[in-house]
Order: sequence, then structure tokens, then C-alpha cells
Amino acid sequence: MNKMDLTKPTRQSVKGLALIFIQGIRQSVRMFWPLVLMLVIQKEIFANNLIWLFIGIAIFILLIIHSILFYLNFYFYVSGEEFILKKGYFRKKILTIPLDRIQSVNTKQNLIQQLLNVESLEIDTAGSAGKELKIHALEKAFAAELQNKLRSGKANFKSKDSNDEVQLPETEEELILKLEPVDLLKIGISQNHFRTALIIVAFGFQIFQKVEEVFKEKAEEYSGEFFSFMSNSSWAIVLFLLIFFLIVSILFSLFRTVFKYFDFKLLKKGNAYRVEAGLLNKRNVIIPYNKIQELNWETGPIKKRFGIYNLVFKQAVSGQNRKVQLVDAPGCLTQHLETLKTDLFGEDKLSEINRIYSNNYYFRRLWFLSGWMPVIFTAPFLYTEIIYLLAAFLWFLGSAGFSLLILKKRYFKINNDQIRISKGAIAHKWKQMELFKIQSVEFRQTIFQKRRSLASLSLMNASGSMTIPYIDETMAKEIYNYLLYHTEISEKSWM
Amino acid sequence: MENFSNSILIPENLPEIERKTFNPLDKKYLKILFIRIIIFFLVLAGAFTTFLIISEGKPPTYILSIVISVLVFLIAFISILTVLEFPRRGYLLREKDLSYQKGLITYKLISVPFNRIQHVEVNQGVFEKILKLSSVKIFTAGGQASDLSIHGLPAEIAQNLKAFLSEKISEHE
Repeated sequence: MNKMDLTKPTRQSVKGLALIFIQGIRQSVRMFWPLVLMLVIQKEIFANNLIWLFIGIAIFILLIIHSILFYLNFYFYVSGEEFILKKGYFRKKILTIPLDRIQSVNTKQNLIQQLLNVESLEIDTAGSAGKELKIHALEKAFAAELQNKLRSGKANFKSKDSNDEVQLPETEEELILKLEPVDLLKIGISQNHFRTALIIVAFGFQIFQKVEEVFKEKAEEYSGEFFSFMSNSSWAIVLFLLIFFLIVSILFSLFRTVFKYFDFKLLKKGNAYRVEAGLLNKRNVIIPYNKIQELNWETGPIKKRFGIYNLVFKQAVSGQNRKVQLVDAPGCLTQHLETLKTDLFGEDKLSEINRIYSNNYYFRRLWFLSGWMPVIFTAPFLYTEIIYLLAAFLWFLGSAGFSLLILKKRYFKINNDQIRISKGAIAHKWKQMELFKIQSVEFRQTIFQKRRSLASLSLMNASGSMTIPYIDETMAKEIYNYLLYHTEISEKSWM
Repeated sequence: MENFSNSILIPENLPEIERKTFNPLDKKYLKILFIRIIIFFLVLAGAFTTFLIISEGKPPTYILSIVISVLVFLIAFISILTVLEFPRRGYLLREKDLSYQKGLITYKLISVPFNRIQHVEVNQGVFEKILKLSSVKIFTAGGQASDLSIHGLPAEIAQNLKAFLSEKISEHE
């Protein structure tokens, strides 16, 4: 491995030239395609081929010059306790971040980068510089080393007198979870197909609208035919369409799963996890334990049958876009889940603690909102036809069942240091966090809750919030006071 | 209840937050709330009149009277709610945290420990400037849900509060 001296300005890999060039082509295509399209449609332009050839060559040369200049003016180095990135030739830009502000350093690889065998490196900060801190082309080994150095922070750069690493002995990486093609199949099948189907329908509808705009008359003709066909055909056709949609959704989920989680590996090294996955776009993310604000895991009816959980590490929001950083590990088996929970939360003390369920009144409110309200609002139209009444009645019963499912899963467990809440309707989700990660606490009580001495709590952490709805008022207050006390005496840093 | 005391060892005499000890907002802030209501309804009424002018054919008078009475009723309703709700608003500064409460139909109480505050901002809108009021906004890492705004503070108190909180933040760094 070539030795790395980050105190000297370093350029990215020469292969970066190709990437910058391709990026340039992409940008110019994005800018000029309407113009080109217009010219193509008006065919007479091509009468004079020579001019267009010249223009093409000129753009090509300009892009090459741009690539070279961009490449030559792109540096990064470490000075003092700051990471500095310089870029741009006409308009120069210098980005500086203190090393201790670095939240995470991740690498990614798209198809072209895979072909060139380089990686891009993204530095995520607690500040606002955000996406700009990205180096597009680094040799793999170099990227890994830089990722490690930046992550371990200041300590590494201070000892630069002794040129060689005074690092702690490298701990071995331990593989926790690896997804084989069979696992991917299971994960794909157990996705929420209802949601996927909705996305597909919405997407299809959009396309349909676009097409309709273009071929308005034809579309009307076809859709008229379609509707008459639909109304004349039997239930069998409807059933066929439903099954068709289901199959399409499953296939879609399968493809998505394979693209996203191909060759998925979850590894453990020291006090951090590393996730590696992707088919066309490979990503490599490092998550230190202390950056994890909340651990979520989830299972559903099909997942349960396979015995798998989907696990999500929720990290702090970063930058101005306030986008929650999350990394998920689908296809965890019970033993994986237990390992991860022990790593992050220590010995499981919550399992012996009693569950505290939300009050039955929570069910009543859910049922009122999802069952009674829609039925009351549509009441004036309901008695026009018997089938509507029947549908309303079914809706009424269905929403009651659904609300009951939600109530049965809504509970929490709390001890002096941790909280775990459970929720869900058809799927079952759990969220767990250390209490000192709390940022603020909210107590809510409507006048209806007050009459029954109930209240709701929300615990906010840096990655989102956890809600405990409809619990006893005095209990809510006690928890509220305890959480504030606990957070205020806590000396631990929440990230 | 027994379940709960089994699971958490609650230290004796945890400080409680008493609703009555909260500092009320400046009465002048109620004026700003009313100005907002008036502006909102002027906009609504304006939109309605424009709609009347643009649309051809006069709508029947009974529809007009229904719309106007609904508007008047809404103004009255919202005004009463605002007046009743106002005394419910208030903030409380304790040794180690800041709390804010509000809400009539839904009562809300939110508390932020000083050691979780990222930074503090003092803002002043146009009307607030005229009435010499300011609002203090407290940012945490929890994002919008956990950020806390205290409106309707006398400008001087707002500055003092900000200075106090900034000092507290630096203590924890």
C-alpha cells in the first residue's frame, strides 16, 4: 500500500479524468437536449452536416479541457485540525471542515466507477457544507485508508513527527451478516407489496396522463374501449388484473431488493459497523456505535414465516437538508438481532420488564378517525344504493379490526437507561434507544384525554421521535420528569 | 401504575413542573395574534370578492349570506379561542431546562435540557418591532419537532434569555 501523507495537497486518481469527462457530457446533454431534439425534428438542419460536426468536435475539446483543468485544480489535504478541499478553476472554492465535525465518511461506487475500479468518498458533516464534500475517484485501497483516517479523527494526524502509524493494533473485522441470493429472494418476497403496487399505479397513472396529453384523441378512444371492455367483462377479468398487479409488484420488489442489497455484508470492527452492498451502485458505510441514535427492527406476516427482521440504524440528521441518515440491514435472523442489540445496548434488561400498553381509549380514537368519520361524512350518499351501505358497513368493521390490531401492538418498556416501544398494525415494529440520547420531551393532552386522566408523550432524539400515546396521566408526568432528570445529569455525549 | 414503579427506580422527589409557575407572555402579543387573524380573514374575504367579480351571473343571495355568516362565525370562534388560550401560554426557566406550554383543546408542554441546546436565536417581525416584542427560538439536534419557540417576549427579556441560554450552552461544551 502506498504511504499516505495527507498533510500535502493530494489529487484524486488520474482515472478521475474520465469521470469528470463523463459528468461533463451528462451535464451538457441535460442542458442541450431540448435544443438538439428541436433541431432533429426540423430535418433541414442536417443539410449542412459539416457545421454540426465542427460544433460537436468543439464541444468535445472544450469538455476535455474542462476535465483536465478541473482535475488539476482539485486537491484535498489536512492542515492543522482541518480537512481542506479545494476545487474549481474559474471560480475557486475552498471547503474547510474541522476533523471533529466529521460525522461519517462513506464510499460509493456506481457502474462506471466499478469499471474503472475507483470509489467516490463522501464526507458527512454536522455543519452545512453537505454534499459538496465529495471526492469522485480514489483508488480502492487509498479510499479505505482515507476513510479510516478521517473517521478516527484528530488523533491520527497529530503524531506526524513519527511518520509511521502509531495506531492501535488493527482489530479484525468480524462478519455479522451476509445475504446470499436465497436471502435476497426471501426479502424481496416479504416486502410490502401493497405499497409497491401503489407506487406502480401512481407511476403508471402519471405515464398514462403524459401519453394522454400527447395522443389525446387516440387515448380517449382506447380508454373508452377499455372501460366498455371492463364493464362488460366478468369478475374473472378483474381477478386476473389483480393477480397481474400482484405479480408485477413482487417482481418489482425483487428487482429493487437485488439492486440495493446485492452482496450485502454487515461487519463489525472495534466500536463500529460497516455495511457493504449494491449491484450497480455499491455503497460502503461505516457507522460507529455512538452515532446510532435509535435502533429499529421490524417483521411482518411473511417475514415472520421466514424468521427474518428488517433492521434500521437511525443516525443523527445532518446538515441543512435535515435528512435522516439511516442504514438498514434486511434479512436479519433472530440471532443477528440479538447480537446487534447486545452490542448497542448491553445485556438485555428490558425483556424481564412488564409491557405497558396504551389505554383502550386509544382504540376508540383510532376507530373514530378511521371508521366513524368517513362513514358520517359520506352518509348523505350512502342510502342511494344498497351496495354502498354494505361497503360502508364492511369499512366500519374493517377499521375496527385494524384499530384493534394497532392497539394490541402498542406498548412500551422502560428502565432507568433505555426505552423500547412496540407498534404496528399488520407489520410489527420496535424502536429502542438509550435515554440519554433524548433531545427534548413533549407532553400532550387533549381535553378528551384530560377527562379520562390520560396523556401522550413524545421523546425526541437527533434522528426523529418516539411517541407513547394514551397512557395514564400521572405515569406520563413521572416519566417526563424522570427523562428530564436523566438527560440533565447525563455526562455522556449523545453523538 | 405498579408495573411502572417496578421498572424505573425513581429517585425521591424528582422536581415537578407546576403549570401555575409558568411566566405568562406579554399581553401585547395578543394584539399581534389578532392582527394575524384579521389579515387572514381579509385575504379570505378578498379572495371571495374577487371570485364574485370574476364569476359571471350573480349567485343567489342565500348562498352569499351563508358564506358571510360562516366567515363571521369563524372570526368570532377563533378570536374567542385565542383569548381563552392566551393565558395558557407561558415559559418556565429552571436550573437545568427550559419549558414552554400552550394549547386549550390540546395542551402541550415541551421541555429542552440546557445540555441539549445547539444554539439560540432572537427574532423580531414587523409588528413585533412596533410593539417592542421579540421571539426566542431554541434549536436542538432533534430537528423541527424538538425546536422550541417562545413568542411574545418583551425585547429586553428576550435578549436576556438568549444571553443566559448562550452562557448555559458554553458551560456544557
